[in-house]
Amino acid sequence: MFRVALKDILARKRRLVTTGLAIILGIAFLTGTQVLSGVLKESIESLIGTSYQGIDAVIRSPEEQDLGFGQKIRSPIPEALVAQVDEVSGVRKALGVVETTSAQLVGTNGKIVGSNFGPPTLVYNWLNDPLLQVGKLTEGRIPTETTEMVLDFTSAKDAGYKVGDQVTVSSQKGSEKFNLVGLMGLGKDGTLAGGAKMMFFTTPTAQRLAQLPAQFNYIAVAAQEGTSQEVLASSLATALPDAQVVTGEKFTRENQKSVSKFVDILTTFVSVFGYVALFVACFIIYNTFSILVAQRTRETALLRAIGAKRKQVLLAIVLEAVLVGLVASVLGLVGGVALASVLKAFVGTLFTVQSGLPTLTSRAIATAFIVGIGVTVLSGLVPAWRSTKVPPIAALSDVAVDRSSVSRSRIIWGTLFLVGGTTLLGLGLADAGPNPLVLFGLGAVLFLVSVAVILGPLIAAPFSRFLVWPFTRGTAITPRLAGENAARNPRRTAATAAALTIGVTLVTLIAVMASSIKASVESTVNSTISADFVINSSTFSIGTGIPTTAVVEARAVPGVALASPVRFAPFRLTDSYSQQQAAAKPAKEQQSLLGAGDAAPPGEDTFMLGVEPKSYFEINDVGTTAGSPKDLLPGTFAAELKEAEKRGWKLGDKVPVYFAKTGVQELELAMTFDQNSGGGSYLLPLATFEANVLALFNTDFVVYIKTEPGADLAQVRKQLDAIVADSPAISVQDLGEYADAQTAPFDTFLAVVYGLLGLAVIIALIGIANTLSLSVLERTRELGLLRAVGMSRKQLRHTVIGESMIIAVFGTAIGLTIGIIFSFALSVVISADSPGIFKYTLPVNQLVIITLVAALAGVLAALAPAWRASRLDVLKAVSSV
Amino acid sequence: MSSTATETAAAGSIEASKIYGDGETEIRALDEVTVSFEQSRFTAIMGPSGSGKSTLMHCLAGLDRLSSGRVFIGDTYLDDLSESQLTELRRDKIGFVFQAFNLIPTLSALENITLPMDLAGRKPDKQWMDTVIDTVGLRPRLDHRPSELSGGQQQRVAVARALASQPQIVFADEPTGNLDSRSGTDLLDFMRHAVSDLGQTIVMVTHDPSAAAHSDRVIFLADGKIRDEMIEPTADRVLDLMKQLGD
Repeated sequence: MFRVALKDILARKRRLVTTGLAIILGIAFLTGTQVLSGVLKESIESLIGTSYQGIDAVIRSPEEQDLGFGQKIRSPIPEALVAQVDEVSGVRKALGVVETTSAQLVGTNGKIVGSNFGPPTLVYNWLNDPLLQVGKLTEGRIPTETTEMVLDFTSAKDAGYKVGDQVTVSSQKGSEKFNLVGLMGLGKDGTLAGGAKMMFFTTPTAQRLAQLPAQFNYIAVAAQEGTSQEVLASSLATALPDAQVVTGEKFTRENQKSVSKFVDILTTFVSVFGYVALFVACFIIYNTFSILVAQRTRETALLRAIGAKRKQVLLAIVLEAVLVGLVASVLGLVGGVALASVLKAFVGTLFTVQSGLPTLTSRAIATAFIVGIGVTVLSGLVPAWRSTKVPPIAALSDVAVDRSSVSRSRIIWGTLFLVGGTTLLGLGLADAGPNPLVLFGLGAVLFLVSVAVILGPLIAAPFSRFLVWPFTRGTAITPRLAGENAARNPRRTAATAAALTIGVTLVTLIAVMASSIKASVESTVNSTISADFVINSSTFSIGTGIPTTAVVEARAVPGVALASPVRFAPFRLTDSYSQQQAAAKPAKEQQSLLGAGDAAPPGEDTFMLGVEPKSYFEINDVGTTAGSPKDLLPGTFAAELKEAEKRGWKLGDKVPVYFAKTGVQELELAMTFDQNSGGGSYLLPLATFEANVLALFNTDFVVYIKTEPGADLAQVRKQLDAIVADSPAISVQDLGEYADAQTAPFDTFLAVVYGLLGLAVIIALIGIANTLSLSVLERTRELGLLRAVGMSRKQLRHTVIGESMIIAVFGTAIGLTIGIIFSFALSVVISADSPGIFKYTLPVNQLVIITLVAALAGVLAALAPAWRASRLDVLKAVSSV
Repeated sequence: MSSTATETAAAGSIEASKIYGDGETEIRALDEVTVSFEQSRFTAIMGPSGSGKSTLMHCLAGLDRLSSGRVFIGDTYLDDLSESQLTELRRDKIGFVFQAFNLIPTLSALENITLPMDLAGRKPDKQWMDTVIDTVGLRPRLDHRPSELSGGQQQRVAVARALASQPQIVFADEPTGNLDSRSGTDLLDFMRHAVSDLGQTIVMVTHDPSAAAHSDRVIFLADGKIRDEMIEPTADRVLDLMKQLGD
């Protein structure tokens, strides 16, 4: 039986390739991302490792604030501490380090270098010690004057600067020019690029740009010859009981971990799309095997007639699936390495990646084989099982092609799956059970399978005929034939279309949610903000907001009635409710810290807005309030009613919160509001805010401007523009532009998601091409007949292409429907959570485009099979009795 | 060229040769065959397997090309035509009936009958259609799919299709080969009727003497050459001649 299976495969090499192609692509994508993530992590870790090699200990503040996304920000330490550290035994050298994101590099084109999503731009002071200073100078000299700076060579190139040029740097104090006196790079000889944009200044300049007057972010210490890091750290900890001391090794590991964690998140995110692609591939394998089994009915029956047992027939097909999976996995691995190499070359333009081919880890190999073979065998099982039901007598009768019927069991199973899927979806959406996301995912899969695979065949035939109906008036026979061909094997058509359905469902879901979110933001901005203009910053980096002078200057502009600054900072709620919430979460691994441990008490990290009470509430509609803006005196705050109720706070309550700068503070709840206008749930009057946050956060992230009635808007805008003219990241926007700017980052994200989903769609197209090829093969005689009685090659091609378009549009139509249902379900849940904000909006244009693209893709998928069909030898076709 | 042949004949060949392979393995399926088929006549081509009878028909019908020589339908020489011109010729000037699998399974009987005209984008001649359909006697089954028709009915639909576009000539390749004798006789009677009463021209390849007996003229082929022909054949005479040729 093994020989029979093997011969079958060898006799159909091309089919094997097309069947496997779907799996190959999926596996290649999965291993590619996995391998690349390995390479990236190793490269980044070794870069960081070599960069911090010379540091034996780090002294820093125990006060830290969590920004989410694994980012943390620490209080600075006083400059005076450096001298103290120098006295400690075992210390060869101690230098204060400035390391912040508080300034941006402006290119020769006047634009900010880098994006919000790329590696950060960092401000450093140049350390006058070859071991403590990160990297090496490659050109020029170190900065010695306050007006001088050094750049990493990649950024200099990207920005268009060379040594001797005047470099523009933008910070919240506005734009400044510096003399570029040198270039540097990472690694022993300064040849490595680190991805991040690094700007080095003299210590006073760096401190000024970082807003660290007489302060440092941390102190880097080099040990004397013969003093180990541990010994050094413990003597430092004894000498400085208020500071936190970590060994150089641990400091390096912390930094490596935070970057690796980010790479892991990215890899997981990208891998999801690989699994979606494989899920799609399942349908294609299932479908191909179904068709093959059906076409081989006669052969199978013959085998049975001459004595092959059912089990042997089953085994032969399973073996074939195993072999296909095996070959596909191997090719997928190869493809994965190739993909990783290409991506690596691309990433290599950003920072130095380890040279040489990416190597496969045993984990990647194992994943490829388990997933590749598993998916293929599972998908082949049902058709294999079906093939065993062929009675031996079938060998003697006519070739039975894959004819599916609208059976009662199909309806029953379909309904059961549908009900089960819907229930799970509902449970998932209702946040039930320990893991609602898994419930939702499982429900979505069941729902999809029931609609696309089980119930799909019930509607495939009528849908196909309906679709071509407008084109079949008169004597047009080609569309009619295309429609009938799509309708003749509803199961095949439905299963083929299902692959596309999955991709389209996801695209639709995302498109609808995106347009809804955009509409929601727009409507929230328009209905709750009554500003005429908004001064807005395009960078997210901490410390790079709008200069606090801008609001003062704006108030002086004639025609401006109100200018309301809004600031942003993280803080930690440490009331009893938040402490319970924190305790319920899995405990973080305890770090082995010397000296003072992390100072923050347990609680929930969130963020707050610093506002000017008298103008903020004039411009922002926060709904019904209790208490009044006038009550927002220093030492008080306002909270969204929903949060206050959840946490059991009443007006007048003292709520403990933690700030990195000032530690735990008791703030009095002076006001509640029930409409969070897209801003924060917690509002602090500027006085309270300024007193408690790190200097980095004392910068406006947005300034709302309201004009006096009858003011010349164009004139006001011109003058506002002049205020921020020298800061390329900051602009004046009207409300419409502001709403667009709010959702702009979203568009980038969407483009990435669509791109990744493209893989699933491509695999689905391969599936359509595969099915069509098999169908064409199966209909050789019929096509020959058509050609004999006068169908032109072009007409025949059109028939095949038409069938393909029907399948594609069918898959898309179901995908659109399910996607809209899912998105609607989500919107109901979101609306229940925060009523009145979410606006469910169907992006009609986009959905039409999706459908047209699908139809076009159908044409593309059909090109090869259609061409092959039209090249059929008519004579062979009609005489192959 | 023999212009007289083209004037009176619906189709024919002039020194038509078809050679497969070359050198040692060369097979002459047709060896300089010159033949013409008159209009409004029912001609049968007979011969043992490998005699070249099917090759001759395929070449005459524009399904295959000659190695040398010429074939014509009416006043058109097929050898000069491009692939797409041949297709149009098959669609407009020629009717086909094959041994089996004559019909498109997804189309109804009526749609199968009008298929060549639909492909051409022409409207069928209503009166002629009625005549053909009534002659075939399938009016009640016109909406049925081929799978719902018996073998004999399917072949009759095929003949109706071949006649529907009023072609210059109909080629039938063993049309009764898959039928029981009763359905076969019915079909042959119907073809006979199409020639005698409706003035159609039919060329039929067969190896069955009793089928050949329904024709006006039988041409005998062996080893790619015409060996004999017989006017007004009967089954017995055909059988005798075949025995002689076989010796």
